Amino acid sequence: MSAAADAPKSGFAMPRARAVKLTRWAIIAGAALFLEIYGRFFADPAFMQPVSAVLKALIHPILSDPRILQALGLTIFEIGAAYGLSIVFGSLIGVAIGSANLPRKSLYPVILLLYAIPQVSLMPLVVLIFGLGPAAKIFFGFSHGIFPIIVNTVSGMRNSNELFLRAAGSMGASRAQIIRHVLFPNMVPSFFVGLRLAMTLTLLGVILAELYVSTGGIGYFTRLYAESYNPAPLFALTGVLAAIALAFNGLVRIAERRLTPGLRAAPAVKTPKGNNPEGTAL
Amino acid sequence: MKSENAAQRIIQFAFIALAGGAWYWATAAGKISPLFLPRPESVWNAFNRLLTLGQFWPPVRITLLTIAQAYAIAALCGILAGYLVTRSKFATEAVEPIIAGLFTIPITLFFPMFILFFGIGTGSKIAYGAVYGFFPIALSAIAGLGHVDERYLRAAQTMGASRLETFRHVLLPYAFPVILTGLRIGFFICFASVLGGETLSSVSGVGRNIALAAELMEPARMYAWIAFVILTAVSLNMLVTALENHAARRAGRS
Amino acid sequence: MTDVSQSPSAAAAPAITIRGVTQRFGDAGSSQSVLALDNVSLEVARGEFVCLLGPSGCGKSTLLNIVGGLIRPSQGEVTVSGRRVDGAPRPDEIAFVFQESTLFPWYTVIENFRIALKFQRVPKAEWDDRAMAALRAVGMAGFSGHYPNQLSVGMRQRVNMARGICVKTGILLMDEPFAALDEQTRMVLGEDLSILLAETGKTIVFVTHSLAEAVFLSDRIVVMTARPGSIKTIIDVGEPHPRSPDFMLEPRFGELRNELYALLRDEIRKTMASQRDPAAARGGA
Repeated sequence: MSAAADAPKSGFAMPRARAVKLTRWAIIAGAALFLEIYGRFFADPAFMQPVSAVLKALIHPILSDPRILQALGLTIFEIGAAYGLSIVFGSLIGVAIGSANLPRKSLYPVILLLYAIPQVSLMPLVVLIFGLGPAAKIFFGFSHGIFPIIVNTVSGMRNSNELFLRAAGSMGASRAQIIRHVLFPNMVPSFFVGLRLAMTLTLLGVILAELYVSTGGIGYFTRLYAESYNPAPLFALTGVLAAIALAFNGLVRIAERRLTPGLRAAPAVKTPKGNNPEGTAL
Repeated sequence: MKSENAAQRIIQFAFIALAGGAWYWATAAGKISPLFLPRPESVWNAFNRLLTLGQFWPPVRITLLTIAQAYAIAALCGILAGYLVTRSKFATEAVEPIIAGLFTIPITLFFPMFILFFGIGTGSKIAYGAVYGFFPIALSAIAGLGHVDERYLRAAQTMGASRLETFRHVLLPYAFPVILTGLRIGFFICFASVLGGETLSSVSGVGRNIALAAELMEPARMYAWIAFVILTAVSLNMLVTALENHAARRAGRS
Repeated sequence: MTDVSQSPSAAAAPAITIRGVTQRFGDAGSSQSVLALDNVSLEVARGEFVCLLGPSGCGKSTLLNIVGGLIRPSQGEVTVSGRRVDGAPRPDEIAFVFQESTLFPWYTVIENFRIALKFQRVPKAEWDDRAMAALRAVGMAGFSGHYPNQLSVGMRQRVNMARGICVKTGILLMDEPFAALDEQTRMVLGEDLSILLAETGKTIVFVTHSLAEAVFLSDRIVVMTARPGSIKTIIDVGEPHPRSPDFMLEPRFGELRNELYALLRDEIRKTMASQRDPAAARGGA
């Protein structure tokens, strides 16, 4: 072992996790740069505009037109309402079906079958029944969002480990205590899987209906821009909606992290003196 | 055990009978406007009229062809992307979250762009269905191909397998069960998004016919199309589930 | 071994030459850095069976992987049949048998052989003959249509070994191929291997923990020190192949075994001490 070989390696060194993150952002920035250059110099402006033009369109007209802002606000409201309804009814139905053997074994397959229906084929019907306003969009988001919540509530209740239940029973827990301390914490992870999926599907349902109804709301503007070959505001509006979708997904993720027992960061453990972590690496 | 099974069947049957009965009762008693819910027999008649007038198979053919093309593109590109991304652990860690993050955004948002780029014909639906179907397939391909047991790769390497041979004989068979899940999800997403695209903005296909019937206030015809779509999707789903159960049983036996 | 005789000098040259190989994992000087091999040199003659024996973590498998081209050494070089191995496998000359079965579970036994021969660019017409010959040699000919997970662990490793033998390479590197097996199965497979070795004339480098296995199989036993691994001594067994189980009953077998045990005991104690107090061991190294 020579002294030179033992000298710490100097120069360029970056923790791997940071390098990964940087690369990820570099890919995204590279894609934006490509779109900018392609849009500026090569593309037909009727179909494609550079990123800078899209950003300009974001400020004007998208974020300065009160009609668009109102439509965006309404969309956010519709997503929130549809999602709230999905959670309330989804978990109620889920608990009702999952709480006993017979309804679970008989009705759960029916739910799964309904879940498999491509709801998009019902879209014209929903609009026919609920009209062109927010009601149709909220219902369509709700009808998309409710199924994953039912399904994951039921499977979360079923997954409650028999062993935990028996352990709790042997410790003399009452039925209410078992539900509160065993069944409920146990179904939380699965329930959040349902919440995440439900958010994705609620967004899909609301936006599908928004785009379908082209006489008002977001759908009116997307159609307007697409048919007048005005890509910059179309891209900008799409970008805003994508940001809204990402924000909603982010909210669910944050709620999941804060509310799931066992997912919160573990409290720091003090390392006893003399336990050299470098040494254990060998 | 047996009586429990029977009870399940009875409840399921009762559920379906109740729904059907409610449909009959509500429409016969005139509780619901036939505009929202037409009588079952008029839906049946509308379906028969579609068949006899030759208006059924042409849109079905267009939609099926669109789905097939979109799905083929999604599957090929998805698996190829999964393969390329997983060639290095670093690339996997950098790229996978981008794809997963994009997939949490409803791709439907971008549908107007597809219309802008590819027009109102089948091209935009193929592209839209392909892009939507690409994500679950690519993600499952990354998950599957990114976690192939080192032992098998090393063995193939020492035996002199070429890149293509390693992919064909080691990576793909190892990752296939995982990729298959993505292919299944991707198919149903492709199916729904092509229909959705046709419903949103199109000149032909099954989705367009549903929307058209709604616009023309012909609920019986609309219900006939919807029933066709639902029955197709549900039976495809049951078929795939049965195939998967069969494969799982076979794998469990050996 | 037609591929070897192509070069006239190859026949005289040793099959494997290891010169001054040092292997360090991690950046030198960093706390994670490990010196696995320290200046190892060794020559293996054509047709020779050499065992690498040493305490766990002494770098036996690392050395095998360097010879096989799976790892590029930090320093030193390895030549196989006169050509330098540069961190790239040489499937035309070297076959590997790993500790765990690497039979592909999605192919049947015979398909596993075919795919190995395909990878090695062996003409298709020869595939089944070669495969069946190798399977017969390990007594597994009746299982060619089975999937690996339909076989017991011992049968699987037998097939795995046969796959390593059936390919046309002159050199076979075996990394504790019997480690996962019970004592009886190991002995039977050891006999098989001794017979096969005598028939095929392959050069074999074999990593093992087992003293009895090393004595029973080897022409020469390379005893390695605790980490960082270097060659402590080399022992000649000097018993022609194929060897019968009777060899184990001869007094010489026991003497060799005892000699090896005495040599290894110190090294194993060193390893155990370093596991108990790694910092001290590192300071001493």
